[in-house]
Amino acid sequence: MGKQMTEMLKGTLEGMVLAILATRPAYGYEITARLRDEGFADIVEGTVYALLVRIERRGLVDVEKVPSEKGPPRKVYTLNTAGTEYLDEFWKSWSFLAGRIEHLHETDHAQAEKES
Amino acid sequence: MAAHWFETLTGPLSQKKQYRQDKARIDALPDPYGAAAKAMHRYITYFAAVTDGDTLVTMLGDLADLWERAAVDDTPVRDIVGDDPVEFAETFAQAYAGKQWIDKERARLVSAIDTATSAATGSASPDGTDPGTTGDGPRS
Repeated sequence: MGKQMTEMLKGTLEGMVLAILATRPAYGYEITARLRDEGFADIVEGTVYALLVRIERRGLVDVEKVPSEKGPPRKVYTLNTAGTEYLDEFWKSWSFLAGRIEHLHETDHAQAEKES
Repeated sequence: MAAHWFETLTGPLSQKKQYRQDKARIDALPDPYGAAAKAMHRYITYFAAVTDGDTLVTMLGDLADLWERAAVDDTPVRDIVGDDPVEFAETFAQAYAGKQWIDKERARLVSAIDTATSAATGSASPDGTDPGTTGDGPRS
């Protein structure tokens, strides 16, 4: 994954994970798999795990430990009320950013055409 | 359970017990997971510079969960840490906003800037414009 993409994802991956959890509760591996299906092929499990630890500590998700046949219990994450509010905020910020950046892009494009 | 007098000196015993248990889980991991987990634990202990025991214990427990799961599922180490182990370890450590030695310096910086700016209050902004009206609002 390119350095630029990594940097951009830092600020947005959290919202993406919350958006995935908004559809239904999931455990870490399912979330990683879902992100890969969405085209983020280079996302590693550890990154998602670290992110889940963070959103858990900030109280955006409820966590249930489900025993597994082998190994430690799996944690199932459910978006809670605080998480839902946070996700709404994320979409607002995202729409604003995407709109403004696209506007800059169009201005830049128009300028380049004028000059050619 | 009543806390014993010595716990006020050494921290709660239950916390120490939990720490030892999680440390033992990491020590019991097969390689390459054991080696990866130990290297990561060493790095985040330095990097996070967390000073409260609760956070350290939680962090170690989560680390043990992560690597035990990886070992059981045979997930390649690279699928966990990615291309940049430092980046990964730092992201992981940053999730634990515990008390850090740097907190004291952070508070000192904030109050120094507050003091510096409050000394200058009453003076108008240099160019006389109101910063609230110069921004470009969203266009339709």
